[in-house]
Amino acid sequence: MSTQGLLDTLRREGRTILTEVEAKEFLAPTGIPIVPTRLARSQREAVRIARELGWPVVLKVVSPDIVHKSDIGGVKVGLTSASAVARAYREIMQAVRTHAPQARLHGVSVQKMAPPGREVIIGAGKDPQFGHYVMFGLGGIFVEVLKDVAFRLVPLTPRDARQMIREIRGFPLLEGQRGQPPADLTALEQALLGLSAFLEAHPEVQEVDLNPVFAYPQGCVAVDVRVVVEGGALASSAPSGGTP
Amino acid sequence: MTWTFEEMDRMFHPRVVAVVGDKKDRDYMWLRSVSTLKGKVYSVQVNPEEAANIVAMGFPNYSSLLDIPEPVDYVIVAVPRHVAPRVLEDAIRKGVNGVMFFTAGFAETGEPEGIRLQQVLTDMARKARMKIVGPNCMGLFNPRWGLRHSPEQYYDDGGPVGFISQSGTHATFFSLVGYQHGVKISKSASMGNGIILHADDYLDYLGQDPQTQVIAMYLEGVPNARRLFHLMQEIGQRKPIVVWKGGQTSEGARAVQSHTASLAASTALWQAAVRQANALWADSFDETLDLVKALCFLKEPVGPRLGLVAMTGGQSVVITDAFAKAGLQVPLLTPRSYQELATFYSTIGGSYRNPMDMTPTSRNLDMVRRVLDILARDDNIDAICYEFNMGFSAREGMVERLVDLLGEFREAYPRPFLCVLSAVHREAEAVGVRQALAQRGVPAYPSFQRAGNAFRKVWDYYRERRERGATRPAPAPAGPVRPG
Repeated sequence: MSTQGLLDTLRREGRTILTEVEAKEFLAPTGIPIVPTRLARSQREAVRIARELGWPVVLKVVSPDIVHKSDIGGVKVGLTSASAVARAYREIMQAVRTHAPQARLHGVSVQKMAPPGREVIIGAGKDPQFGHYVMFGLGGIFVEVLKDVAFRLVPLTPRDARQMIREIRGFPLLEGQRGQPPADLTALEQALLGLSAFLEAHPEVQEVDLNPVFAYPQGCVAVDVRVVVEGGALASSAPSGGTP
Repeated sequence: MTWTFEEMDRMFHPRVVAVVGDKKDRDYMWLRSVSTLKGKVYSVQVNPEEAANIVAMGFPNYSSLLDIPEPVDYVIVAVPRHVAPRVLEDAIRKGVNGVMFFTAGFAETGEPEGIRLQQVLTDMARKARMKIVGPNCMGLFNPRWGLRHSPEQYYDDGGPVGFISQSGTHATFFSLVGYQHGVKISKSASMGNGIILHADDYLDYLGQDPQTQVIAMYLEGVPNARRLFHLMQEIGQRKPIVVWKGGQTSEGARAVQSHTASLAASTALWQAAVRQANALWADSFDETLDLVKALCFLKEPVGPRLGLVAMTGGQSVVITDAFAKAGLQVPLLTPRSYQELATFYSTIGGSYRNPMDMTPTSRNLDMVRRVLDILARDDNIDAICYEFNMGFSAREGMVERLVDLLGEFREAYPRPFLCVLSAVHREAEAVGVRQALAQRGVPAYPSFQRAGNAFRKVWDYYRERRERGATRPAPAPAGPVRPG
């Protein structure tokens, strides 16, 4: 679906939060590597996609009405066979019927499990005074507890991207400790610049979360993403969370 | 709405000023403030008693702006808020260049009538394309022109510092306290609620003003944050900008609302903007002054390696800690310097590795100069900080001679030279020494920490500016210090 087509759909359906599958497709122009994720509408389709992507895979429920997917049993990880995928699909469907019978259901997303890397978070938001900004930090407790994040206003220069990564206190962890090779800092800088350029072209974006992004010695990949756009005619005012 | 340099410049250089509504209750502070104007001052006051006093003070008084028999450039309005729209209407009809409202009680009150009146003024001014300073402010200060907002401010004098403030208090005290530190204003603006002219407009002007070389801003919340950011990026490559941001906490942000009725964006985004623009972040009045002082007085830093001179062993330890904690370096000197020092330095009680511990020699001014000259020639040293300790140096009438010596050294040394003035138990005398040093171009800081912090931030600014490829040429490599 084209970007405009997607925005039209959102407007028609009165929503501002993209589903995971929509968000990943929407962010493709950023050039940020994102774990391939496809929508399956049936058990058979889920198995076929899993075979194409390679093992192990993760299945997640896709519904604009279900925000906390794992709370209702809508996420199944570490699936290594067709039978496991089929069973997971049925269990997710059962969970939705039990816990969220009214939810609009797009299907189930199938994605390959990314090998673990150093977790970072890349985000963006829109401030009423300063406009779009980009955020960078280490994932997990670093962002949640220590608030160890750096901000820059869009547009970022390459120098801004370089400096904001080095500005966080946890930066030495990305350089590699105890014989660990350094994370691919160039790839992270490119991701920040790609997101900045994307935001310049998309004033409607209110919030972006790429969390986590796995940083490897070579390259990086965004595992989960979240996108919120402005309500526009729907005039959804207060954006939720994500503010610095 | 944007304004040309000429439009703004004319407002800062009014040939005719009218003060509307000054009164005895406030000791006619507005008329007294502008009595130094290089131009003519009129009063507008309808109360016969007040008018009589004003005329007795020597100011021609009229009952309306429209009655003043010549064109008026700048109007200072100090009337009750409900009269403000009528004064603005007269000013628009009179065709003045700009209007300043000392009058308060508008949107900052948060109550409907204040908000309504502010909107009335805003709509009138926009329609007429009239420049408004304020309301709820102290207005403009151009000391060379004698345009002031306090009778205590100086005139016929001025410096290189432009100051923009969302608080009248900070604008007034930055000028008065700064003067005590040798920091003089080129132009300053207290902008209050900023209904027409806001921080971005003043910054745009000061960026183009040839008298302004350093800019500092006290900001709370800015409606045109994007424009301000772009101006900071552009101007910051030519003129250093210090940003002191009020309302950094949620409690402070609430206070901002009732002070200037502006919405404070998050501190994290302000810090991002400041970094991206290569401006200097200040957390307080004192730090703002520390940084501005360093930017005005220090020669351009070329590196982070300090040669430190302290009066005793104890001071040597803590000055080193302070500078190292600020992220600066205190390196060993070259072997050649040590050879020279060994020829005359007493090793008993003193040490000369770096810092130079002057214990045995602190009262011998020839020794002080010799030590400074050796540091100046040393290739490992990019800047020098001297501890001027009132406890040791204030004896035997040597203060004046030491100030002269440091002033002469500052002239000769091509790199940054700063002092820490340890007042110890002689605080009252220290003020005079600080001013005397400032007159010789030597910034003096009250603590090692403040000196280290100021030097670090100024060094960061110049390094970043050079790395971004500013046009200013790199300074010549250090040569031998010229005698005298």
